[in-house]
Amino acid sequence: MKMSMTKRAARVAALATAGALALAACTPGGDAADDGAATDAATDGGGAEGTVTVWHYFSDPQQVALMDKYAELAEAANPGMTVDNVFVPYDQMNSQLISAAGAGQGPDVVIFNGAETSTIALAGALAPLDDLWGTFADADQFPDSVIHTVDGTMYAVQGYVNLLGLWYNQDILDEIGVQPPTTIDELESAMAAAVAAGHGGITLSGLPNSQGEWQGFPWLSAEGFTYENPSAQALEAGLTRVSNWVEQGWLPQEAVNWDQTVPFQQFAAGGFAFAANGNWQQGTAEADADFTYGVVPLPLGDSGQVYLGGEGAGIGANSANPELAWAYLTSSYLSFEGNLAAADLVGSLPARADAGQHDSVTSNELLKPFAETITMFGAQYPSAAIPAEAVADVQLRMGQAWSAVIGRQHSPADAAHTAMTALEGLLG
Amino acid sequence: MATMTSGRHGIIRVGRRPGRDRGDVRAQRNSLRRTVFLVPGIALLGLLGVYPLIQLVWMAFHRVTSATINSGPWEWVGLDNFVQGFQLGETGPAITRTLVVVAIVTVFGMVGGFAAAVALRTSGWWSSALLALMVFVWALPPVVNGSVWKFLLSDNGLVNAIVMALGRSTPIPFLYDTNWALLSVAFVGAFAVIPFNALVFRAALLAVDPEIFEAAALDGVNRWGEVRHIMMPSVRPTSLVLLVLTMVYAFRSFDFIFVMTYGGPGTATNTLPFLGFLQAFARFNFGYGAATSVLAVIVVLVLAVIYARSIRKEEA
Repeated sequence: MKMSMTKRAARVAALATAGALALAACTPGGDAADDGAATDAATDGGGAEGTVTVWHYFSDPQQVALMDKYAELAEAANPGMTVDNVFVPYDQMNSQLISAAGAGQGPDVVIFNGAETSTIALAGALAPLDDLWGTFADADQFPDSVIHTVDGTMYAVQGYVNLLGLWYNQDILDEIGVQPPTTIDELESAMAAAVAAGHGGITLSGLPNSQGEWQGFPWLSAEGFTYENPSAQALEAGLTRVSNWVEQGWLPQEAVNWDQTVPFQQFAAGGFAFAANGNWQQGTAEADADFTYGVVPLPLGDSGQVYLGGEGAGIGANSANPELAWAYLTSSYLSFEGNLAAADLVGSLPARADAGQHDSVTSNELLKPFAETITMFGAQYPSAAIPAEAVADVQLRMGQAWSAVIGRQHSPADAAHTAMTALEGLLG
Repeated sequence: MATMTSGRHGIIRVGRRPGRDRGDVRAQRNSLRRTVFLVPGIALLGLLGVYPLIQLVWMAFHRVTSATINSGPWEWVGLDNFVQGFQLGETGPAITRTLVVVAIVTVFGMVGGFAAAVALRTSGWWSSALLALMVFVWALPPVVNGSVWKFLLSDNGLVNAIVMALGRSTPIPFLYDTNWALLSVAFVGAFAVIPFNALVFRAALLAVDPEIFEAAALDGVNRWGEVRHIMMPSVRPTSLVLLVLTMVYAFRSFDFIFVMTYGGPGTATNTLPFLGFLQAFARFNFGYGAATSVLAVIVVLVLAVIYARSIRKEEA
């Protein structure tokens, strides 16, 4: 086994779903029956016939395999159902959904960035799920943190949670004689040592869009920045820190051109000591990394926060057969087997309580640090302090500030000032 | 002047020979037929060209967001969307960047296209094959073209590998330095338009009577003399049209920026079209994005008028 065991958690029970449940103060529903949930799901959707069109933006082979697995599960549970998976590029998903809704069209089911629920729902592209959710026998398996509502109406639900952790190259750490960092000072010392030894420091995304905002938020929050109480000083401090990383040569300035896939490929190639990246990279690590690696929670101090992200699933507002779409969701994406498939194929943390307590999840050493992160730093994504209509705007502006500092377009002070000016108008 | 009266078979011109009358009827029928054939084209143009343009302008004067785009009525805000862009400091810098891109693409596109046309002026198989290859590159989807260039210009890409092999100690930050990034996307835009310009210039050069070159050779004119005194004057009418087309192409610069930098680092490569895209499709403020796009459309319309006048002048 390639993975380092140095961060074995003392508590085997500190699992992903447990963390998610703790955060959401949600009541887990009953015992962790390994196969009972699937039966319920099948019953919910049994007898449904017809074609379900599912829009998604996955291009990674493992994620595509997961969509295929969902189709297989749904078709097996619903004789007569045919699933048609349709790829829509990430950057075009929202605009296509909005324009389709304007024309009275759209998919039966859409798998999208859960954080963008408000943008899509406000445009009338998603159907309310409250009634269907009320009839779902396994609804109590899901914590509140994975339910996406807009103005009190439920529009989407996540079948799993994705978040960031600190991946490390154990071979490089052994060479420079350091342990996986638990504080930001330790991380910076380790990066300095790695660079001095001829390696790269850390990889992350500095793209000027929502991916940059997603990646930057933990480091900004570590300095005390929040959307609930935005502080220019805290924002500048966070931006100054990452600016220093670039100046010291620990973080490549080229990160401004990297989405979240590229920096992990760079890490997996073996040239960098660390990568701030997600649990969904597990498959890529297993396939590409020719070195010993492991994961620890991001070292974010007392105030740090890590977004609890992941894809939301919703039913298209113009679906010809919402019941069939719901049958698809309950027998695949939201089912027990579907949750386990997401963990197995992609490394996502199951949202269901019963799936989170399954052996295949609890014995996965790579998922444990992410589960710990949920309890230590887990934060709602997007922040409830951001008005629904302003979510996309805030993400872009903050992503641009993050990118501007890494790319040396603006000083941390100027970037913080520009971002704060924008936030004042957007946060109300 | 002939008078007209109505007959069983339609309008008949009185006082003319029967043959000519039949010709007139045929001409009118042909005209009617042409009109019928024009209808679908005009309808499509109106539906896909004019109507969206009217909608765009209408949107630019309203508050249109993801919450209101599919429900009405939209709130009238007058010029607010236009003013805000300047007040927030987004539109002004974007216009400046757009002008830089237009200048680079136009100069390199025109000079490069003409140089390539001169080099490939002959009509042999190899020049045709090379031109076909260039046109293939030109016809590649910008997403593919941009992705290849993004790879070539990265720190580990071919261009930097060559630069480093020549003795430079660090890679050139083609796509992640504020100034380099804008220059790089403009350069790629210019590179992509050179094949088309070369093709048009070459067509103009091939129309020059070969005897002129022979006469010039007999007079002892060298290669540069041929270029200056024969080729450049020969392509002057074409150049004006091509210049406007190239400027319109450069002004629309969007695809390569989307693929190669996404407007970054920060906002360093946000040109006017890309800014409009971000406002409309990343921030979902469609009214705001429409206002920025209207500014771009106005410039393109001005260039289109210049283009139309140039064409008319060339055909005169």
